[in-house]
Amino acid sequence: MIAHLDGLNKAFESKIRLGIMSILMANESVDFTTLKSLLELTDGNLASHARSLEELDYIRCEKKFIGRKPNTSYSITDLGRAAFSAHIQALASFINTQQ
Amino acid sequence: MENKEALNTLNDIKEMMERSSKFKAISGLSILIVGILASLVSAYIYFFLGDYSINTPTKWRITTYITVSLLVVAFFIVFIMAYIKAKRHNLRFTLDATMRRLLLNFFIPLGAGGLLCIALLMQHRYGLVSSITLIFYGLALINSSHFSFPALRYLGYAELVLGLIDCFLVDYALLTWFLGFGVLHIVFGIIFILKYERSK
Repeated sequence: MIAHLDGLNKAFESKIRLGIMSILMANESVDFTTLKSLLELTDGNLASHARSLEELDYIRCEKKFIGRKPNTSYSITDLGRAAFSAHIQALASFINTQQ
Repeated sequence: MENKEALNTLNDIKEMMERSSKFKAISGLSILIVGILASLVSAYIYFFLGDYSINTPTKWRITTYITVSLLVVAFFIVFIMAYIKAKRHNLRFTLDATMRRLLLNFFIPLGAGGLLCIALLMQHRYGLVSSITLIFYGLALINSSHFSFPALRYLGYAELVLGLIDCFLVDYALLTWFLGFGVLHIVFGIIFILKYERSK
């Protein structure tokens, strides 16, 4: 990245966090395993990126038990949806100004 | 940031959103094969009965047995070939939320139509059965296209229109089935292969 642009969200600079947000934008809720296989990540890697998005209140994490197996699923918050939309908007308007 | 980088990022976002929410392993060849099978089977029934119209209980019984078997074989082919396509192109093929949504949205309208047809057959009211199968199949395709290739809806629209035309015609059950399940699948299968699968 050369110049820093208005409206681009630092939280989405990482490709992994961008991927997590994209998937959660398109789905109501996605469990940890599905997210991991879609993004081709390791457990620790996904967990740490997910936690940083959680701390920003962009995504919400729900832990429950299915039978005896623990199951973690993620969904996007209203704040996260707004922030991600603004990020996409900024990218799109940047492309428009260049053309 | 360069223009190209921003564009790539947007494309990545779009691809991720699609890949995570749509089932992309449907094989165009399987649609084509189902179309060919359906054409052959309806041609066989036509020569067997010697008529387009299926107007006696015996004719209906024979036709029902054959078409239900064809239906089972067709689903089996689509399922197996989707599995092969998923393996080959590294696509997801698990009973996750996406596949469950696709199956539910496909089989709820189709199941409703199927039950309606069974009820009509039991009451010996045969006239609308062929159009009902096409109409509900079309609705099932339109409904489930949101969770797979959006283009599936065009096949759905075509089946729906054909089914609605068939409502107003009497005695052309076999011909409309031949067109709807045979010809339309062949045409759509070829378009599907050319549009989505040729370059890969």
